[in-house]
Amino acid sequence: MIFEQTQRTPYVELTEQSCSIRGECYPENISEWSAPVLEALEENMGISNGSFKVVIELYYFNSSSAKFLFDFFEYLEESAESGREILIQWCYRTEDDTMLEAGEDFQEDVESCTYELVAIEAEAAG
Amino acid sequence: MNIERDTVGLHTFMQDRKTVFCYSGPMTEDLLTTIANPVRHQLSDKETEEVVANRVFGVFIEQAQNIIRYSHQKTKSTGDSVGTIAISIADDGFLIEAVNVVSESKRDVLEATLVDLSVKDAKELRKLYRQRLKDGPPDDSVGAGLGFIEMARRVKKFEFDFQAHEFGALFVYRGWVS
Repeated sequence: MIFEQTQRTPYVELTEQSCSIRGECYPENISEWSAPVLEALEENMGISNGSFKVVIELYYFNSSSAKFLFDFFEYLEESAESGREILIQWCYRTEDDTMLEAGEDFQEDVESCTYELVAIEAEAAG
Repeated sequence: MNIERDTVGLHTFMQDRKTVFCYSGPMTEDLLTTIANPVRHQLSDKETEEVVANRVFGVFIEQAQNIIRYSHQKTKSTGDSVGTIAISIADDGFLIEAVNVVSESKRDVLEATLVDLSVKDAKELRKLYRQRLKDGPPDDSVGAGLGFIEMARRVKKFEFDFQAHEFGALFVYRGWVS
């Protein structure tokens, strides 16, 4: 299932084994955007009980979106605590202290998931 | 209006204070969607690190959304929030200024919040941010209640003031990013 990227929301792709989130997140109304995404996450994760891989590559998100990410990780952590194998990769551009710090912030709350901070080289993006 | 004093004066004023972007008027989410990227592109050039530009952008978005949600001054026709935001080159980075009217009760809460934040260091701000994330937003908050904490984390320093205004109080915010 795919949520297309918009100017103010990220690209989200969900399968029964994975979730990818890429782009930026500062929507007008975070609950309006995130409710269907969280619903789809639960749906996809509920299909099987195998390992689940999450890749997040965000360049900017506003403070309202931080709450969505917190809830998102909280759900993953609950699943992992119940025995699900979950791998999370938080990707950040090498010089981006802000995104690295954000990744470290979220890392502290997900003890049962495998959580990796992945530095990526900045591309010449449009 | 006098062409020399007013219009040339505006140009000179903006140039002298190195204000690269300024908007004053009704602030809406639609407007934010439209101007966000041009503002950001303006900030990112060879002379400005993208990381700095992103931080300026972050403070800009947070403050714009604060104005949209909490400004006590509205336009007569549409009821949109009114405020002013400016981004200027300053020191070795940027200065973000925001001005908008707030209600008296909002003023009290804001003042207490900002005084509290102004004495916290990076570590304490981070701790407070994480706590607020877990606790959820305050009752009168439209967003997550994290905006000012987020801004405090992004700026090198900030100042604020409240001035008398017929509709409540005029809230003035200044944050420096580098």
